[in-house]
Amino acid sequence: MQLELSEERTRLREAAEQFARSALGKDLARRERTGEFDRDAWRRCAEFGVLGMPIPPQFGGMGLGLSDLLAVMEGLGRGTRDQGLLFSLNAHLWTNSIPILKFGTAQQKDKYLRPLCDGSLIGANGASEPDAGSDIFSLRTRALRDGDGYVLTGTKMFVTNAPVADLFVVYATVDPALGATGITAFIIEKGTPGLRVGRKLEKMGLRTSPMAELIMEDCRVPASQRLGREGRGVPVFECSMEWERGCILASCLGAMERQLEECLAHARSRKQFGKPIGKFQSVANRLVDMRVRLDTCRPLVYRIGELKDAGRDATTEAAIAKLHVSECYVKSCLDAIQVFGGYGYMTEQLVECDLRDSVGSTLYSGTSEIQRNIIARGLKL
Amino acid sequence: MNDIRSVLRAYILENLLPGEDPSNLTDDTELKESGILDSMSTLKLVTYLEEQFAIEFAAADLEPANLSSIAALQRLVQSKL
Ligand SMILES: Cc1cc2nc3c(=O)[nH]c(=O)nc-3n(C[C@H](O)[C@H](O)[C@H](O)COP(=O)(O)OP(=O)(O)OC[C@H]3O[C@@H](n4cnc5c(N)ncnc54)[C@H](O)[C@@H]3O)c2cc1C
Repeated sequence: MQLELSEERTRLREAAEQFARSALGKDLARRERTGEFDRDAWRRCAEFGVLGMPIPPQFGGMGLGLSDLLAVMEGLGRGTRDQGLLFSLNAHLWTNSIPILKFGTAQQKDKYLRPLCDGSLIGANGASEPDAGSDIFSLRTRALRDGDGYVLTGTKMFVTNAPVADLFVVYATVDPALGATGITAFIIEKGTPGLRVGRKLEKMGLRTSPMAELIMEDCRVPASQRLGREGRGVPVFECSMEWERGCILASCLGAMERQLEECLAHARSRKQFGKPIGKFQSVANRLVDMRVRLDTCRPLVYRIGELKDAGRDATTEAAIAKLHVSECYVKSCLDAIQVFGGYGYMTEQLVECDLRDSVGSTLYSGTSEIQRNIIARGLKL
Repeated sequence: MNDIRSVLRAYILENLLPGEDPSNLTDDTELKESGILDSMSTLKLVTYLEEQFAIEFAAADLEPANLSSIAALQRLVQSKL
């Protein structure tokens, strides 16, 4: 595999970084505290083309391949500290736009993809439930057949973007006795009778990405809103997760690069005992470890892009990357706080914000334990 | 029928029971409750059978009883041909 990005991808990454530096992360310290989503930044991301990157031009997008997307996501992660916004973008792209592109009917694609690309619709995804997290296929939201449609009843948990979303991809079972083969995906528009956004959920990190419960009470959905075949929601969900794992990690990679640069600058300029703290071996070793982590994470992320662009399965490789990058990200964030000392612990510098954001990466899109289970399955254990 | 059976056996032995002595897999070996077929592997097997035999299962066809053994799966595939 290629270890260096091509010139074109390097340009993409740099353009994304520059865009993020100039357009994103405004008033972040305050918004992070109050948990405020930046709608204007969302619009600017749409104008820059981020929301249409993986969508073909005939539906209003740019039709980029996964490796190109990873470069853009890495650039964005490096260019802004607003990881919450990037998380919301990722949720919109991989759990809403991509499933509609891959599994939608011609009518569904015509109706939804263009507004999802131009930023006029925000997408979200409701899979998790109060009693179905890692064991997602034990979900209980029911979709009862009713004439030419379904009636959905159930509660979804941890729905990223729910408070601001216009379009939801929701998973429900047509018959719990069928297990995974009963799970079916639906596209539900905001305002559909019986659908409501429940209480807003306050998070430790990624606070500028809004989250809430989603409640369906006798929510009638026409069969034309089913996404994919009845009982074939699992492939839709798995497709989302595979894209999401790869691409969210690219933003984390960018964040780790930015963090290392900031730590290096601090270690060179901050003097104690008459010399820069970077001259103390125990401080230098932290920076060395951060660099080693970064260099071992990068190829794992870009390998997913190469495999997927070549049309190959990347289930195990995506799980390996997700596990390694997220665990490294958390460790590097802890190191960054230590390098910054007390200043790193203070909220105004936002160094600690990276740590709070990073912890989520070991949980969302499947926890580290679940990634290990997927890798073990790949080893045919 | 034999063809369906050998396709099923080959798939299960290669993908779900690697390293297993083939003689331990009989037509009546319990596949669901024994955990040989979990959620993901059920979906993969079903998709594989649809492609192999150019058939389509409805959600209701995939009730646990129809997936419980090679014999049950064989009957299910046969009913769609
Ligand atoms: C920031 C964030 C955003 C999210 N956004 C969304 C969203 O938009 N839509 C959505 O549907 N969901 C979303 N989620 C939910 C997320 O997918 C779940 O949190 C995750 O799947 C884990 O489920 P759980 O929280 O119920 O934990 P549990 O499944 O209850 O797990 C608790 C602990 O048990 C471990 N565990 C469970 N099963 C096993 C096993 N078989 N082997 C080993 N260990 C195991 C877990 O690893 C974990 O450590 C989000 C979560 C977070 C943190």
